[in-house]
Amino acid sequence: MNFKSIYNSERFLKIIFGLSLFIVLVMGGLAYQYIQKLSKSFDEVQHTYQIHIELEKLASLLKDAESGKRAFIISKDSTFLEPFLSSGEAIDSSLDHLKYLTVDNPEQQKNLEELEIKIDESLDIFEKTLQLAVSNKLESPEFISGFNEGRRTMNSVRFKIIQMTTHENNMLGIRKEKSSKTLSNAPMIVYYVLILSLVILLLIYIQISKNLKSLKQKNELLETFKESTTQSEIISKLGNWIWHVEKDTFEFSDNLYRLLGEEPQSFEPTMEHFMAFVHPEDLDKFSEQVTKMMANEDLPFTHYRILQKDGSVKHFKSYGKVLIDSEGYKKLLGTTADITDEIENYRLIEERNLELERNNKELASFNYVASHDLQEPLRKIQTFISRLEDKEQEQLSANGKLYIQRIKSSSARMRSLIDDLLQFSRTNKSEEAFEESNVNILLETAKHDLAEIISDKRARISSDRMPSMKVIPFQIKQLFLNLISNSLKYSRKNIAPVITITYSQTKASDLPKVKYSKYNLYHTITIKDNGIGFDQEYADKIFILFNRLHNKTEYSGTGIGLSICKKIVENHNGYITAEGKVIEGSTFTFYLPIS
Amino acid sequence: MREDYTYVVLADDDEDDRLFFVEAFEELKMQTKVAVYKDGVALMDALNQSDSVLPNILFLDLNMPKKSGLECLQEIKCNNRFKDIAIAIYSTSASEEDIEDTFVNGANIYIKKPDNFNILKKILSDVVTMNWQYHTNGLNKDNFLLRL
Repeated sequence: MNFKSIYNSERFLKIIFGLSLFIVLVMGGLAYQYIQKLSKSFDEVQHTYQIHIELEKLASLLKDAESGKRAFIISKDSTFLEPFLSSGEAIDSSLDHLKYLTVDNPEQQKNLEELEIKIDESLDIFEKTLQLAVSNKLESPEFISGFNEGRRTMNSVRFKIIQMTTHENNMLGIRKEKSSKTLSNAPMIVYYVLILSLVILLLIYIQISKNLKSLKQKNELLETFKESTTQSEIISKLGNWIWHVEKDTFEFSDNLYRLLGEEPQSFEPTMEHFMAFVHPEDLDKFSEQVTKMMANEDLPFTHYRILQKDGSVKHFKSYGKVLIDSEGYKKLLGTTADITDEIENYRLIEERNLELERNNKELASFNYVASHDLQEPLRKIQTFISRLEDKEQEQLSANGKLYIQRIKSSSARMRSLIDDLLQFSRTNKSEEAFEESNVNILLETAKHDLAEIISDKRARISSDRMPSMKVIPFQIKQLFLNLISNSLKYSRKNIAPVITITYSQTKASDLPKVKYSKYNLYHTITIKDNGIGFDQEYADKIFILFNRLHNKTEYSGTGIGLSICKKIVENHNGYITAEGKVIEGSTFTFYLPIS
Repeated sequence: MREDYTYVVLADDDEDDRLFFVEAFEELKMQTKVAVYKDGVALMDALNQSDSVLPNILFLDLNMPKKSGLECLQEIKCNNRFKDIAIAIYSTSASEEDIEDTFVNGANIYIKKPDNFNILKKILSDVVTMNWQYHTNGLNKDNFLLRL
């Protein structure tokens, strides 16, 4: 896993989120601590000031008492004694309060005890001097010493109060210094943490928005896919469905409803509802498949018919495969195709095939009739003629003999017509018949079959050496036989036929009259003679069945031979052409593809 | 008795062909005895007689009603009693299929009925004088069909 994928993963987001949550919590804790400390130091300052006030109050009480006493001594007016008389109680409560305030400070407690002793001492002296003043003994040494003593103790009380105030101030100073250190750092830390968490939040925001963007893009892509799936479903007559295995619920695509002849999502997608459409005759088979599907969580190709509400029957084919989603749930993704057209086309083809087969059978029986039944009477006619010629020759008149000759030549012609027609109809193409053959031997066999005529006409036949070819051997032999016998037949009178057979190879692009060919190269075999030739005008006509260029009394021939040649060449995916010049000769060229 | 002549039998439903066959042998003036049957059933009935004289050469037409030449051939080849009979197929057609079927079923020669009486005579004379032992030993699909 590289960094980028970690950065993009959902886990990364979780970690970052956890981290920022932790930081915010820490920050909150720090702030709380800070405020705690702040309020504590505020409390301490207040505490110190309270002690201050209380001490000041104590000092002023003593001062009031003393100044009251002095005023009384001078004026003898007892009303001036009022503060002094009430001071005792107030001082006690003030001292109690101070005791309470300094309960956590042993040193101040000690100071307070000393202060209390000193106050008591000073109050005693007050009392004593006051008694002396009341009894008018102002000039007595006791009074004077008492008065001085009073001033001294009063001073020491004041000193003690100042000492305590100073101590309290010092304490406050130390505390302030101590807390100010942490307090001055705290706002900075909180601030930094805040900045850090903001940065993290920003990062998360960027990441999330990036993810959202790609999610949006993917969503759009999905939308496009969905749309194109819907379209292709309609065009290819497909419907999709999903079976959620764990929940045992189904989802049907819109087009599946259309295939059933219903409005999209017009009923709840359940197996029961779908089964209602299955053709009653196929229901058992279908239920069996569904049961198997439920058990194996797999659906092999299943073929069945459905019955739409309008009564039309459709052929369906279904297939399903289990997919496990990211959350581990099993889904069986199924496709159902309406193959009615295919089935109908198949049936049509099947029907046509049967028809063709029937036609072929008829043709075969026609062949049999032609080869057997037609030939039999003809053969007998010929045999009887030969009997007449042999046995009854003497009994016949000259005319009778002529008629016999005419019947004989007519029946001979009929025989060759039947033979050639049979040859033509048997010249069929079958892939198995193709084999690698030595064409030179085939040519020799053809020449051998024609040996008699060749020697009769004193014909000379020369040929190039040809390579081996993949052909139907007996047909190529027939091709040579027909072309050579054609040349021999249409030879000029009194001129010995010269037939030249040459071999070459031709590129498909150089083939005459051929625009497109799936082969590149062709064997090219040319058979050239010095016969009567023909007008180039008729070059194409001569290959047509029963087409003859010459009167049959001049030249025998059925008009089938060259048609057979053309058929043979076409069976080999080749081409045949003819060139002729009257009285000079003709040239037949055939091209056989080199595969 | 058997050494004196060759016993030749033809099964053919065609009256004219039977006539030509008999006349040809008459004109040939060979040491032969000829018998003809009008279909396969008649032929097989005659052959299956326990005291029947078996022919040296049996000519079989293929296209016959009730029992075809091919069926006769198969029956004959199944029966060991007939193992010495030379069988010549004598048919109008010479289709590849017929030649193949009869060759596979053990016929000795295939004759296409000629359209000339003199040729017929020559064929029959050749077949009767043929050295069957020699012919059968070197028999293959190429020399099975009699060519003149």
